[in-house]
Amino acid sequence: MVTKTVASYHFDTLAETISKLNEEDCTIIAGGTDVMVLHKSRRGVAPKIAKPVVFIDHLRELKQTYLEDGDLHIGACCTYGEMLEHSLIPNIFKKAIREVAAPAIRNRGTLGGNICNASPAGDMLPLLYIFNAKLVLRSVNEDRIVEIHDFIQGPRRIARQQNELLVEIILPEVVNEARLIFEKIANRRADAISKVSFAGLLQVQAGKVADARFAFGAVGPTMVRSQETEKKLLSQVYPLKVEVLDEVVADFASIINPIDDQRSTAAYRKTVALKLLRYFLTSKELF
Amino acid sequence: MITKDISQSVVKKDHVDKVAGQLPYISDVKMEDMLYGVLYRSPIAYGKVLSIEYPILPEGYHVIGAEHIPGGNFVKILIPDQPIFANEWVNYIGEPIFMLVGKELEVLYQLLDEAQVKFEEHEATYTLDDAIEKMTDVMATHEFGESLQTIEEIGKKAYQIIEEEYETGYQEHVYLEPQGMLGIYQEDEIQVQGSMQCLYYIKNALISALACDDDEVRVIQSPTGGGFGGKEDFPSMMACHVAIAAQVVKKPVMLLFDRSEDLVVTTKRHPSKIKYKTALDRDGNILSMSTEVFLDGGANTGLSPVVLQRALLNSAGVYKIPHYHAKGYVLKTNTVPNGAFRGFGAPQSFAGLESHMGHIARIAGKDPLEYKRQYLVKQGEPTITNGRFRDPIFMEDMIEDLLKTLNYKKKKEEFARFNQQSPRFKKGIGTSLFLHGCGFTGSGERDHIKATVKLLKTKDDQVLVKISNSDMGQGIFTTLSKIVAQELGVPYEEISFPYPDTKDVPDSGPTVASRTTMIVGKLLERAARRLKEKWQSGVEQEIVEDYVHEEMIPWDEKTFSGDAYPAYSWGVNIVEVEVDSFTGNVQLEKIHASFDIGKAIDERIVKGQIDGGMAQGLAYGFMEKMTSKQGRIQQRSITDYGPPTAMDIVHIESKLYDNPYAGGPYGAKGVGELTLIGGAPAVQSAIEDALAVPFYQIPITPEIIIESLEKREGEAVD
Repeated sequence: MVTKTVASYHFDTLAETISKLNEEDCTIIAGGTDVMVLHKSRRGVAPKIAKPVVFIDHLRELKQTYLEDGDLHIGACCTYGEMLEHSLIPNIFKKAIREVAAPAIRNRGTLGGNICNASPAGDMLPLLYIFNAKLVLRSVNEDRIVEIHDFIQGPRRIARQQNELLVEIILPEVVNEARLIFEKIANRRADAISKVSFAGLLQVQAGKVADARFAFGAVGPTMVRSQETEKKLLSQVYPLKVEVLDEVVADFASIINPIDDQRSTAAYRKTVALKLLRYFLTSKELF
Repeated sequence: MITKDISQSVVKKDHVDKVAGQLPYISDVKMEDMLYGVLYRSPIAYGKVLSIEYPILPEGYHVIGAEHIPGGNFVKILIPDQPIFANEWVNYIGEPIFMLVGKELEVLYQLLDEAQVKFEEHEATYTLDDAIEKMTDVMATHEFGESLQTIEEIGKKAYQIIEEEYETGYQEHVYLEPQGMLGIYQEDEIQVQGSMQCLYYIKNALISALACDDDEVRVIQSPTGGGFGGKEDFPSMMACHVAIAAQVVKKPVMLLFDRSEDLVVTTKRHPSKIKYKTALDRDGNILSMSTEVFLDGGANTGLSPVVLQRALLNSAGVYKIPHYHAKGYVLKTNTVPNGAFRGFGAPQSFAGLESHMGHIARIAGKDPLEYKRQYLVKQGEPTITNGRFRDPIFMEDMIEDLLKTLNYKKKKEEFARFNQQSPRFKKGIGTSLFLHGCGFTGSGERDHIKATVKLLKTKDDQVLVKISNSDMGQGIFTTLSKIVAQELGVPYEEISFPYPDTKDVPDSGPTVASRTTMIVGKLLERAARRLKEKWQSGVEQEIVEDYVHEEMIPWDEKTFSGDAYPAYSWGVNIVEVEVDSFTGNVQLEKIHASFDIGKAIDERIVKGQIDGGMAQGLAYGFMEKMTSKQGRIQQRSITDYGPPTAMDIVHIESKLYDNPYAGGPYGAKGVGELTLIGGAPAVQSAIEDALAVPFYQIPITPEIIIESLEKREGEAVD
């Protein structure tokens, strides 16, 4: 075999790992469910990874899930399988997790990995966006906290510095009575990549909208969210007036610009995204 | 184990090795000095090869091209239009031009990049619609039935004439094991091992390509992880590649495809367009029907003419249609060649016809199932080729039983109520009625296949089955051993049935056309009976049995008249779905299926055929989507193509009706293809029932559903 040795690191502690990242530009592998696919070679040839590899999936520090001041902290290397078992993980996340790939992948894939892979079809991203997730990036110098929508810049483009590691995802407290929805639309019920996904949050207090958030996946380079449109709904009477509803749907119709590809069509993606939004805002079945 | 009734299930003979994961498939084989092959494939859809510049080869690396072929540069199938190495003209993207052979795949891939081939590009035909418009490259055509003049006369007096066009898409086999073939050089012979259904098709292709004698090539089947027709015709080409290479380099040469290569370059089910023209009277009764079938053959003929025959022979389904006419064409396009696939033209025809019958029923204001039942053929009635349905037909009983079990009428009412109250989710129920002609068409078994089977008894009284048929997962190791064992009165475990090797087995025909159990099984039954009569303990004995043609109405291939098949298997599928009218997603809710396959040789194995065939057939109707853009297949992974997972299929409630056929062993008829055929039309009918919208194509993807619903909404607003 023509083999080239790939340098790889597997440190006992998070501190050592981060200190290595400070010295060298590395490819980070948590579950590897994206990295290995991305670097796949043709049959019979090992994956080609140019940079040295750092394994992080064994680091206990990255697997902690806990509540602090009402905020939920999830370790970046928690696998989907682990989150499914954890009592602190919100049910709506568990619903989304059950639709991720299949059990084998769920046992490897991690929440941090899903974020750093920054796929337009990332299964966890719509919910993370509407939960206003904050990401803790650690380097030898400091902990930096970044909003998820600032962190994800485009398909497979993230605002991580070479010497940083995503260590924790923080979900700020969400009022309990919020109505939540997550819908993944794909060509089949397992091992599938989203054609459209949608997450919604709606909080109604005393007959008026107190909070509204929406995020759409797989209809643009990153999740589509519009805080401007969301604000229009605040204090509106619920059930919503037709004009209000139409305006919100029209706003999204102007910013959702999907593409045709081997999985679906632009027209389908857009139509379905708007239908799901309208359904969420009007359906009595959901509440 | 000796079972009282042959239908009683036993443990499959290859069960333990497969479950333990210890069965070595061809890609598990490693030999000393073994080299790998990789193919340089055409990047363009149609053009003339101007020059081929091979890369500079390191020591131990070789180029194998057209110049190394001792015989004709074509893969012997029906018509010599498929080059082994396309060194003059290329006709589709992915067509092999030459092969590089060497020890390291990584080096080989690098060398592929360094090769340079110059082309003069010509204007390609990319789609079936383009080909229909041109009608210049007709690979095969057939026509039969009532004269068009008579049909026209009838049409003039008709109350109305319904014309419909129907389209079916690609289907990919997605066998679990991708294609693989190993060529082994030996001083006196070239041996080819691999994943395959038809040992003698490959052997004949090798004799032609190597221009050698019968005893200079030898074909051995490896454990085969699924075929579905995909390993009927295609492996012959790979076998030629590795055999020629092995002969040149005098070393073993292995050619293996990974999934994405397999998806993009191997044969698929023919996309089709089917046109119907049906004359109705005032009450919606059919006065006449004419059907025109167009199949996209892809870049070379392959088995397409035979696929067209089966498509046409099945084009009137299970119905007695007055004044029926059928015509069909296979048209060439510059796309990946289409080939054999479970059902072999029949799934397209049944999907189209069942759809058309359903639409006419609605025009006539009748429930589709009730409407279709009026036209069911009965025993003794003629086929569309003036043959006879000679054996009992149980379709009426099968339908009636299912309707009772399901409480069909009540269910339809419940669904109607549900749909009225539910804005988003809609429930529907749909039915398909179908048959499958078992074995080769017409006199194919007698004139072309001429099957021979052999039973060998050793001195130790060990009985060996010597046939050229492949167990590809469908279970013939077990079922055929059971037949022999039952005749001999010994436990089936004592019958030995090694992987076939052409040096050792006679040509019992290919493993195709739902023929193995019925035709080959019958020959083995007869051979075993004779062996029992002549049994001499401690003596080596050999029994050879040749195919004997059953008396039927003689088949005339030119006029398409006579008995097209010796026997028919029958089926009824009823499918319940829930459609998400906001996303177009279809969820199967309940699946019911009844089949008449004569007699089950092993109920669990038959259940495997039912569950697998139906999953494949249902998915053909609404899930599996493969598209070609400018001659290039777009879906390069299983995820993108989307065959069903266990999450997509629900329990399949199935029932068998015993209807023994004298020409099959213990009364058995064919089962493998039948189970696929009813899936797509049943699911279409159910989706139409749920949404009250007609569809004119499969797969009915969510994209198609949403487009149709949006269109209807738009029309409602207008």
